[in-house]
Amino acid sequence: MGVMQPSALEQILITTKVEKVMNWSRATSVWPMTFGLACCAIEMMAAGAARFDFDRFGCGIFRATPRQADLMIVAGTVTYKMAPTIKLLYDQMPEPKWVIAMGSCATCGGPFDSYHTIQGVDKIIPVDVYIPGCPPRPESLFYGFMKLQDKIMSSSLADRYREIFEEVG
Amino acid sequence: MSDAPIPETTPETPSGPFVYDYTTAPNRQVVLPKTVPLPGYRTYVAEQKALVEAEEAKWQKQLADFDTAKAKAEAEGKDAPKAPVKAVAKKNDTDMVFPAPTEAKDPTLLHLVNGLGDKVEEAFEQAGELTCQVAKEHILEALRLCREDAQLKFEMLADETATHYPAAQGFAFSVVYHLTSIARKKRLRLRILVPEGFEPESATQVYPSANWMEREIWDMLGIRFANHPNMIRILCPEDWEGHALRKEYPVVGWGQRDIDFREDRGGMLNRIAMEKAGQLGINLKRPKAE
Ligand code: SF4
Repeated sequence: MGVMQPSALEQILITTKVEKVMNWSRATSVWPMTFGLACCAIEMMAAGAARFDFDRFGCGIFRATPRQADLMIVAGTVTYKMAPTIKLLYDQMPEPKWVIAMGSCATCGGPFDSYHTIQGVDKIIPVDVYIPGCPPRPESLFYGFMKLQDKIMSSSLADRYREIFEEVG
Repeated sequence: MSDAPIPETTPETPSGPFVYDYTTAPNRQVVLPKTVPLPGYRTYVAEQKALVEAEEAKWQKQLADFDTAKAKAEAEGKDAPKAPVKAVAKKNDTDMVFPAPTEAKDPTLLHLVNGLGDKVEEAFEQAGELTCQVAKEHILEALRLCREDAQLKFEMLADETATHYPAAQGFAFSVVYHLTSIARKKRLRLRILVPEGFEPESATQVYPSANWMEREIWDMLGIRFANHPNMIRILCPEDWEGHALRKEYPVVGWGQRDIDFREDRGGMLNRIAMEKAGQLGINLKRPKAE
């Protein structure tokens, strides 16, 4: 009665876009880098441990090297002395890569309006998700991470190049 | 970072107690706060004496005024004016009383003062803490005596730090050494007053633990130590400009924190993408809406 019956082929096949499959696999297996800089790192560790269990989001494998990581969670105060190192580590991460600025320190300098603190890690590397709080609770980190997953799911494979070529003209 | 020359005189009145925002104060001018005077027994005694004398002078003036007024009233045949009453200082019964420094009575301190002789500038006790101010050229001897004398036996240098006194006369910094004797359960503070540019002898020759603490003093206050094994910065990077714990240093620094690495990255990506696209013959350009 007007309702289309799926054909035999559609019953055994799923059709989707390559881009969507890529995004889905990327969003559900984001490997973060262990990158604690200050007290926020404690909360990140709590998020990774058994009670909150970051692994539920496919994000629990903290890598100790940037070359195996997709996500840099900048958890803590970014000092002037640390800045070149952060930049170096970010450049060593393979594309595609994402950055979460966790806590007020990494988003805007936090309580440290002083000579040694970079006022936000976005002065050094591009940031995808900002999580406010001092420190943010693990739930906030999860929420920020889910926002990042949304962002990854809605991204396109050509996104990186588009930005550049729009600038170029 | 701007290359504006640092002016030598203070310009107009600042808008607050500290002009710490160098962007609104482009000449990097910082208003020096009035620092707490260096605590010491002699200055305290002199201050107290001056206070008492000022009170006395005030009272004498009141009496003299009363006498002249009385004589005037008698001459004019009026009633005599009221006699003045000496003001009694109000008793401070809060528990926030500043512990006054007192004369050195502790046997440890007296022994040290005897051992050092005329190299001691001042020795006093305050709130149960022993302080001995030594001539700045003889700090090494004082430290050695404290460590090696059987009656002192201060085996440990618990802390070494310094303070900036920009308004002081004759010195700019005080360097303090906090010594601990574990065997005798005693603590002692040695102090030297150092002018700008003076290099005190390094305490590493007596207490090796002074190594990093003296590097920190150099980093934060800019006092160099003579005969130190490794006199380089410890907290700030090597290329840092200025010394952060000096009172004239702006809270937000001289613009070091305003770095921007992202422009550079954009340029790099751009180049790589152009090359790659060119090699592969791909047109990644998004069609623009006409
Ligand atoms: S935001 Fe707060 S908790 Fe996090 S690193 Fe900064 S000071 Fe520490």
